[in-house]
Amino acid sequence: MGLTEKQMERYSRHVMLEQIGSLGQEKLLSSKVLIIGAGGLGSPAGLYLAAAGVGTIGVVDADRVELANLHRQIIHHTDDVGQEKVTSARNKMLAVNPDIAVKTYRQRAKADNIRDIVRDYDFVIDATDNFPAKFLINDACYFEKKPFCHAGVLRFHGQLITVIPGRTACYRCIFHSVPPPGTAPAGSQVGVLSVVPAVIGSLQATEAIKFLLGLGELLTGTLLTYSALTMDFRKVHLNRNPNCPLCGKDPQITQLKDESQVAENNANRKRT
Amino acid sequence: MPVEVRLFATFREGRFKEKQMEFPQASSLADLLEHLQIAETEARILLVNGTAVSAEHKLAPHDVVSIFPPMAGG
Repeated sequence: MGLTEKQMERYSRHVMLEQIGSLGQEKLLSSKVLIIGAGGLGSPAGLYLAAAGVGTIGVVDADRVELANLHRQIIHHTDDVGQEKVTSARNKMLAVNPDIAVKTYRQRAKADNIRDIVRDYDFVIDATDNFPAKFLINDACYFEKKPFCHAGVLRFHGQLITVIPGRTACYRCIFHSVPPPGTAPAGSQVGVLSVVPAVIGSLQATEAIKFLLGLGELLTGTLLTYSALTMDFRKVHLNRNPNCPLCGKDPQITQLKDESQVAENNANRKRT
Repeated sequence: MPVEVRLFATFREGRFKEKQMEFPQASSLADLLEHLQIAETEARILLVNGTAVSAEHKLAPHDVVSIFPPMAGG
C-alpha cells in the first residue's frame, strides 16, 4: 500500500532507522495491540503506541478517572475527572495521532469476555492493577496463544516480563496463584512514585513494537526489575516451570476462571 | 555452605541487594527466609537458579536464590 507523504513525514525518524524503514512502519500501521488497563502503565503505553503509529489499539477499562489517578496516569487530564477512562484515553491517543484507530472496551476483563477481546489482537499489554486480572490475562493469552507483556509496580519499584505462550515462562510459572488477601499490597494501599509506571509502561510499549517488527531480543524468560531509589535495572533469568498449573506437563487449569472467586482456594493449596 | 542471595524491590529495604551467605547443610528456603525475617506469605516469588520453587526447597551449595515481592500495581 505504501505510506502517504504525510505519513512519511510523521514517521520519518522511524523510517530512517535501517531496522524499521517504510516497510516496518507499514507493518506497525497494520498491527493491533490491546492494552488492558488505562492507568499508570497503560498511559505511557497507549500514548507511545499511538504516536508510533500502531494502527489499531484496543483499550480495556471499566473505571472512571479520579483525581488520585492524575499524578501518574498522564493520559488523563484534570478536566477528565469523572470521565470514562477508555474515552479519555481514546481522545488523547487520537489527538496525538489521528492516523490510528482506537477501540474501547468499557468493561472489566473477565473470564467470559477476555478471550473474545484478546483474539483480535497481535500483542497484549497487561497494564492492570490487580492480581486476579493479571492471572486472567496470562491464562487467556495462553489459551489464545497471544504474546503479551506483563508488568507490576509497587512504591519505587517495577518489573516486567514478556511471555510467548507455550514457549517461554509464563506468569504462573513463577507466581502460581493469586496471593491470599492481605499478603500483597496494591498500589492504592501503599503508594507509587509517579514516574515508576511511566518507566515500566514505556518498556512494555517497547516490547510490543519490537515484537511487531521482529526486532532485537524480547524480555522472554527474563524478568526485568527496576528500582528507582538506586536506579538499578536487573534482568533475572526465568526457566519454564514443569509444574506450572497452566503451561506445565500436567496442567490443572484447562479453562478460564475469574481468579477473585478462586483465590481463596488457591491460597490454601501448596505451591509446587 | 555458600549461597548467593539476591533481594528485589521492597525486600531490599533495611536489608541488602545481594550477599554471599553461609547456611548449614540441608537448610531450606524457609530457613533462609526466617533468617532474613521475610514472611513466607510475602515472598511469593522464590527462584533458585532461575526456577520457581516452594519454601520447602532444600538449598544446595552455590545456589543463587532470588526473592521477589508480588507487584500488582499498575
